[in-house]
Amino acid sequence: MKVLEMKGLTKKFGDFIAVDNVTLTVAEGEIFGFLGPNGAGKSTSIHMISGLLRSTFGQINILGKDIVKHRKFAKMNIGIVPQDLAIYEDLTVYENVKFFAGLYGLRGSRLKEQVAEALEFVGLSDKHNSYPINFSGGMKRRLNIACAIAHRPKLLIMDEPTVGIDPQTRNYILDSIKKLNKMGSTIIYTSHYMEEVEEICTRIAIVDHGKVIVEGTKEQLQAVVTDKKDIWIEVKSNKNIRAQEIEKIKGVESIQIDERVIKIHSDMDINNLNQIIQYFLSNEIEIRSVEEKSSNLENVFLTLTGRNLRD
Amino acid sequence: MRNIIESRIILNKLLLLGYIAFSEIGSKSVQTSVIVLLLLLYFSINMTIPITKWELGKKSLVILSMVFIGVCFVFVDSFFIILLPINLYEYIVYYIRKKWIVLALTLLPVLFVTESDRLIYVLVSVFSFLVFVMEIQAMQRLENYEVQNDRMRIKIQKLQKQLHDNDEYIKQSKYTFQLEERNRLSQDIHDKIGHSMTSALIQMEAAKSLLVKDREKSNELLQNAINISKDGIEKIRVTLKDIKPATQQMGIQRIRLFLDDFTAKQGLQTSLLHKGDVEMISPLQWKVIYENIRESLTNTMKYANASVVSIEIHVLNRMLKVEVKDNGTGSSNMKKGIGISGMEERIASINGTIIVDGSNGFSVTMLFPLP
Repeated sequence: MKVLEMKGLTKKFGDFIAVDNVTLTVAEGEIFGFLGPNGAGKSTSIHMISGLLRSTFGQINILGKDIVKHRKFAKMNIGIVPQDLAIYEDLTVYENVKFFAGLYGLRGSRLKEQVAEALEFVGLSDKHNSYPINFSGGMKRRLNIACAIAHRPKLLIMDEPTVGIDPQTRNYILDSIKKLNKMGSTIIYTSHYMEEVEEICTRIAIVDHGKVIVEGTKEQLQAVVTDKKDIWIEVKSNKNIRAQEIEKIKGVESIQIDERVIKIHSDMDINNLNQIIQYFLSNEIEIRSVEEKSSNLENVFLTLTGRNLRD
Repeated sequence: MRNIIESRIILNKLLLLGYIAFSEIGSKSVQTSVIVLLLLLYFSINMTIPITKWELGKKSLVILSMVFIGVCFVFVDSFFIILLPINLYEYIVYYIRKKWIVLALTLLPVLFVTESDRLIYVLVSVFSFLVFVMEIQAMQRLENYEVQNDRMRIKIQKLQKQLHDNDEYIKQSKYTFQLEERNRLSQDIHDKIGHSMTSALIQMEAAKSLLVKDREKSNELLQNAINISKDGIEKIRVTLKDIKPATQQMGIQRIRLFLDDFTAKQGLQTSLLHKGDVEMISPLQWKVIYENIRESLTNTMKYANASVVSIEIHVLNRMLKVEVKDNGTGSSNMKKGIGISGMEERIASINGTIIVDGSNGFSVTMLFPLP
């Protein structure tokens, strides 16, 4: 089922085109990543999906319904973790989550139950009577997530949720996104950190200057640029290594023998790592480390646009 | 120019005329009506000079004016002599080019002038002399301009002719190449295919006539004809393949030609680089690439203030990337004009996208999927 559909979505601010004719579909169960540099139009798209901004042209459907015609329906089914924290520092943790869940129409015992569940999920149950004013950035962010998920939205949108956060909380958040996804939420995740997007997203759209350049799985995006990989094997010494023998292994295209590192250029689709290692072992060459270098999304972006994701 | 000079002389004369009128009408020695009549006569003679186109007429009018002044000087009032220098200059200038001699000559009549008018006469002749020097210089400048103008006109004509000849030459050579190509083609067809077909035909006809009498022989001949025909078809295939240039060759070549032309005409340096397997690019894609490169270069010309444009055609694994980038001023806030919209439409027609970036120089990046 299509959880989100964008058709020809465009947003202009005067002469400036922030989002330019974007057409995308997010299916149920996906963790969909928006990857692009700052100013690529990610947040503007998110604001239009969540109804904060009206699109200049185009249409957005949530669960098959137009968000302009079915505002309430759309809002009930979306949860948003905004880029800038949205919590009240003079309310307790519990009150914060209860307030946001209440906005979505939850009442009575159901409200209590789901708020408790959300707090449990982000690991803030024991803090439910504290005021978030003294919280660390990571805790505030977790509280923010709890506010967004208490009403159990079908679609959870997270706009750069790991900006300015310690690595531990970051991992915690990435894990909880995976967990939420397993529990049935469809997730849209925007970031300009390609490592995060590579780690958690099932499908990715690379955006730049308001346009979707490419979309697909991580592997599909890598394949756009090249179908080769490099395997670097660090050895104790390069004696007894014969290039011709290794080149006979299926998929190997070329080989470069340095003093300590053997660089093998090979087809990406063929899994020949075992055979290669087998060659080293049978010739009693001591391996120190093995590293497979396939092109990452940063590289894909660089190749396609000539610019870096982060300036 | 000539008009300005003439009006300068007329102004000079008018000034003197006014001066005479002013000083004579005040004095009671001569009747005012006579003065007015004489002045008007002088005026009419001298106004006829610039109107006359005919050189000799001009000269005689100048002499007439001088004689008239002489008559007035002798019979009416000596004061009329101050009108003389300017007419004198007008006349002498035809014959003597040395300025100082001219001045000396005009100062000569000062000997006949009464003592009281002498100073005025000298002043007037020096003043008129200055006006004339200015006139002569202006005339020389004018002549120079005209000479220069003529030279340039001739040069332009020559260049135009050259250009025209060049165009003609290009057309001619194009036509020659076509003829040569056609010649080669018909030669090839004649040599390789014509002979095979003829011999196949002969064998088939022989087989037909032997069909009843000698079945075996006929069979053999037919087999021969079949072999020859097969061979012929293969030759046709080879010939046609030889003739048809590879698409990528045409595509790159066309862009290269355009860039050479552009560099020559606009003085902007261009470079073209291609990476990867350009044979993957379809003719339709080449068309869009060509048109969009042209559009981008036009934009660069118009807005970028750049000196170098580099073009890169990069065939990636599943995608084709064409980047046109200049080293100009770029722009952080661009409007999407007709040019960019046009490029966008063309790209969209082959399922591609275009990114326009002005952050570091100006770059247009086209991306489209490869089959």
